[in-house]
Amino acid sequence: MAFSPRLLPATPPSRCPPPASSRHGGRTAPELSGPTPRVVVVTSGKGGVGKTTTTANLAASLARLSLPAVAVDADAGLRNLDLLLGLENRVHLTAADVLAGDCRLDQALVRHRALHDLQLLCLSKPRSKLPLAFGSKTLTWVADALRRAANPPAFILIDCPAGVDAGFVTAIAPAEEAVLVTTPDITALRDADRVAGLLECDGIKDIKIIVNRVRPDLVKGEDMMSALDVQEMLGLPLLGVVPEDAEVIRSTNRGVPLVLNDPPTPAGLALEQATWRLVERDAMTAVMVEEQERPKKKVGFFSFFGG
Amino acid sequence: MAPATIAVSLSFRLVPPRPCSVRARWLRQIRASSDGNGVANGDRKVGVLERKVGDLRAVVASVPPAVAALRRNIGLNFIAGFCLGITLLAAVARQVISRIHERDNKGSVADLIRRGQLKSGQRGMAKPRVYDDPFNNPLVKIDEGTSTAQVFGKEYRLAPVRLTTEQQAMHQKRRSRTYQWKRPTVFLKEGDSLPPDVDPDTVRWIPVNHPFAAASTEVDEETAKQNVYQKDGVPSRVKAEHEALQTRLEASHDVNILSSSQRNMQRSERQIRLSNESSGQNSLSGIANNQNGQPTLEFEKHSPDNSSQSKSLEEQ
Repeated sequence: MAFSPRLLPATPPSRCPPPASSRHGGRTAPELSGPTPRVVVVTSGKGGVGKTTTTANLAASLARLSLPAVAVDADAGLRNLDLLLGLENRVHLTAADVLAGDCRLDQALVRHRALHDLQLLCLSKPRSKLPLAFGSKTLTWVADALRRAANPPAFILIDCPAGVDAGFVTAIAPAEEAVLVTTPDITALRDADRVAGLLECDGIKDIKIIVNRVRPDLVKGEDMMSALDVQEMLGLPLLGVVPEDAEVIRSTNRGVPLVLNDPPTPAGLALEQATWRLVERDAMTAVMVEEQERPKKKVGFFSFFGG
Repeated sequence: MAPATIAVSLSFRLVPPRPCSVRARWLRQIRASSDGNGVANGDRKVGVLERKVGDLRAVVASVPPAVAALRRNIGLNFIAGFCLGITLLAAVARQVISRIHERDNKGSVADLIRRGQLKSGQRGMAKPRVYDDPFNNPLVKIDEGTSTAQVFGKEYRLAPVRLTTEQQAMHQKRRSRTYQWKRPTVFLKEGDSLPPDVDPDTVRWIPVNHPFAAASTEVDEETAKQNVYQKDGVPSRVKAEHEALQTRLEASHDVNILSSSQRNMQRSERQIRLSNESSGQNSLSGIANNQNGQPTLEFEKHSPDNSSQSKSLEEQ
């Protein structure tokens, strides 16, 4: 089976690069870098750090940029990506059905109603089981078949299950790039470092991190590691820093990705920025580390009335 | 204040109904004197009118002192207290109602739908927002000169990324030393024997309760691969099932054709018998002559039910 070579970042991060605004200002869309389709696995090692949320939002953001994306839920046992995209009632055929010959691959892809460039593929239904003999090869065939399709997608995003067992092995098999999602706590960091090591051993060298659920107030009070601390520990380029946001729960319940929120939310905007960097194979050059103190206004008795 | 004064003031305040009673009395008087002459009646009417006007004047004159009495008795404190009390009562009532309502619906899907957090029948139907540059929009302003960013109204200091390529390479080396791993390519169920041509390092042993641990694989690897790569046409299993069904249908169709031909023969046989009976001839010899005996015998061999059905018809 022929695969395109694993691609390294076009521009490795250097010390004190120019701010992001100078590169992105005035443009309406990012420039797609590298050959398509790009197969990206979103992984973490630890569970509950936001892999599925990140995958759903990256895929939705890509689709909104008119970059066709196929989001693959590789979690055979506990799939959730369909819920986050609001497509849970439309998943009737899965990759397991394709393997069994019950349907074709294009029939198993579920197209999003609002975002026509976004398609979802689930590996299997919760109660069904994948054939063991070729379990690890399933996604490799799927990615290759999508690559050979008449209208191949620009991105194949694979939502990896937690842990490093068979599900992880299956999910990373076709990937050329990896997005490592982590939270700024030591448990998630240890798992992220291990997963980064396994990915590198497998030949995936283009690994970027998204630091999720950052609280600037805790970072300022030195009660939480900053994104720079996380980067220093893992030694990987930053794709994005997503602040803690209550809107994530709301968007999950609604089945609408956060990046489609109107008005925009801080986490949604951070994920959009991450998508732009992913498309351009770029990395963060500067991080918002602390909230600056504003000069306090004199508060008078009649300030309530505008006095 | 003396009680007598209050009583007086109250009686004074209750004066307005008096003209009505007076008026009633006048009416009675008018009716009683209706039998007298017309001049006297006219004088009386004028007198009644004068009295009415006088009473009205008295009522009008009595009103200003009543308002003054009200103003004197109900002070500013009373009004303020009354308003405060009403406000407090309204606030308490509102709290009680909202708590009852929350207790009834808290955490339910209906509550989430009511609050707009969950959509009942429109999940995933969001309208894509008009695109904005995520790095430069009214909510995100990056000031290069001062290295500050204003995000959602808050100002942040921008710190440059410190990671260098050398540091990155160093971390990669550290990890490659720590995690020496080879991606497994073969999955085997725990307890199974290792095939002779498989490298043990490439095997992933799967627990029995794992979603991948389905032992029964209906399709082989090559067929599964072809299924994934199939671009158009009918999927393989559906096609195979269809063909199998078609074969069975064809087989059953042959039997049906045979049975239907036999049924026709039976029908003709019956008709002949009936005609023979009516003409007084032997029916059996007639059948043997017409169908050569063989088909009937075969049919009887194959379908005894039909033969019994024909017998019963014959009996009739």
